[in-house]
Amino acid sequence: MMIDVQNLTKRFAGRTAVNGISFQVQPGEIVGFLGPNGAGKSTTMRMLTGYLPPTSGAAYIKGHDVFHDSLRARREIGFMPENVPLYEDMRVVEYLTFRAALKGVKIREVRSSVDRAMEYCGLGEVRKKMIGTLSKGFRQRVGLADALVHRPRLLILDEPTNGLDPNQIRQVRSLIAQLAGEHTILLSTHILSEVEMSCRRVIIINKGTIRADDTPEALAENLQSSGTVTVELRAGPEEVSEQIQGMAAVRRLAASQLEGGWHRYELRVEPGEEIRLEMAELAQARGWPLRELTQHRATLEDVFVELTQRE
Amino acid sequence: MRTFLILLGKELRAFFLSPVAWVVLALFMVITGQSFSLSIGLLREKPSDFSIVRWTFFPQWFWYYYFFLFPLITMRLFAEEQRQGTLESLLTAPVRAWQVLLAKYGSAVIFYCVLWLPALLYFGLLHWVMRGEVEIPLGALGGSYLILLATGLFHLALGCLASALTRNQIIAAILGYALILLHFLAGTFLMYLSQENPDRMRPVLDQAVTMRHMDYFTLGLIDSRPLAYYVSGAVLILLITHQVLEYRRWKA
Ligand SMILES: Nc1ncnc2c1ncn2[C@@H]1O[C@H](COP(=O)(O)OP(=O)(O)O)[C@@H](O)[C@H]1O
Ligand SMILES: [Mg+2]
Repeated sequence: MMIDVQNLTKRFAGRTAVNGISFQVQPGEIVGFLGPNGAGKSTTMRMLTGYLPPTSGAAYIKGHDVFHDSLRARREIGFMPENVPLYEDMRVVEYLTFRAALKGVKIREVRSSVDRAMEYCGLGEVRKKMIGTLSKGFRQRVGLADALVHRPRLLILDEPTNGLDPNQIRQVRSLIAQLAGEHTILLSTHILSEVEMSCRRVIIINKGTIRADDTPEALAENLQSSGTVTVELRAGPEEVSEQIQGMAAVRRLAASQLEGGWHRYELRVEPGEEIRLEMAELAQARGWPLRELTQHRATLEDVFVELTQRE
Repeated sequence: MRTFLILLGKELRAFFLSPVAWVVLALFMVITGQSFSLSIGLLREKPSDFSIVRWTFFPQWFWYYYFFLFPLITMRLFAEEQRQGTLESLLTAPVRAWQVLLAKYGSAVIFYCVLWLPALLYFGLLHWVMRGEVEIPLGALGGSYLILLATGLFHLALGCLASALTRNQIIAAILGYALILLHFLAGTFLMYLSQENPDRMRPVLDQAVTMRHMDYFTLGLIDSRPLAYYVSGAVLILLITHQVLEYRRWKA
């Protein structure tokens, strides 16, 4: 097992940032740690990387306790902290050389490791530049190169695309996708599309507790709000709602008026129910002109909103 | 050990690439050079109770610049890491906090020692120019360097502590200056007290009086007790600094 977290809790003066969370990550997995700001993602990652001691509970990286055997646990990890703190007055290549040596890369291999990491992250053109003069996108790549310069088996990335523009986000995301084969990756984000694109597993965290832990598809499927059916009919709401009352699977109906006597109806359906056929038959029986009949899958966004805003 | 050396290398590099360090070094060379040439002039005019070493290292204005030195050297050490947030990347590498602390302190000590080297060169030059005809009291020279090193170790540790307490370099400098001055004034106050009651107070109090230590050592009177005082004081303050860093990180 790559990461084993057991009942991990962190309390800051009077406020519980992480509240008894448990999860496991197997080698090779790419796990998205998803939650709104202040959910406790960074705090969890800081505990995993030995920066903060847990208030209670335990966590193991490849079997090494992150608190009691911290140095050995840290050797397995490549960590990119939130907001990518870097030394402003160092050159890119100097910084990465320092970091590689510090993380135990053999002296003879430091150069090749640094070159490999820089090539990987596309840092060739800025290798001699002062870090303080780099754009946000390049800083992020320096942080990523730092995280993987010593070829760790586990990458922990705290909001790797935070503050980037859409092009930069795509670049960083494709870098992460390339890393997927060789590494186990735990990355945090508050952006949904990011998890949907990069991760095969999502852990949703809110207010310090885990609300869901599954594949993005399974999460969307299992969610209460799963079935939404859109119907466009040339028929008035009174008439339609009266007929639909009779259908047990429909929980809620919302109508909106369109041009030329058309109406658009959004039907909330019990999970797993199929009502499109019944709907089509109804329309035919009543002689309502029908021009659209679509079932929507819940997106991860629906899941996220549902899980993090319910209370 | 390898980790420590890598960290030390990084800190030394940061020192010798920072403009502040070169300004300090240049100013310091001017000050010691000026003191040296003035002391030669002084001794040429009339004989003095004090040797050339004494006049070079501890002219009347010594106390004006001596205490400013330490905050300038140490203010950056931890404050800057805390401001940039780099303490997080540093301490999540396989590195122990005390290795980071000792590397930073060590680099400050090395820089401080480098500051005093030019003065040695002046004496060498004098010896060479005068073809050994002027007497350079080696005991006093050795004593001066020893006490400067010992007090330096102590004051640099205080500076480190101040730097660990804040993320703002300026505040770190002011705080460091205040701590050092406080220690010095306490010592001076004790010296005054011990003059009032010579018999009972002196044995205890003498150990904390920097000014008196300077007097003795520059005469070549080397005493192990003040050395032990400064070194153990430095160790104690570094231990406190370590605790402060852990506390600021963990802020439970
Ligand atoms: N050093 C700290 N001291 C006090 N409270 C903190 C500290 N770090 C984080 N918190 C609090 O813990 C909660 C979780 O924060 P964080 O883990 O940074 O959330 P996320 O990374 O998910 O946005 C927040 O309410 C935050 O204010
Ligand atoms: Mg965060």
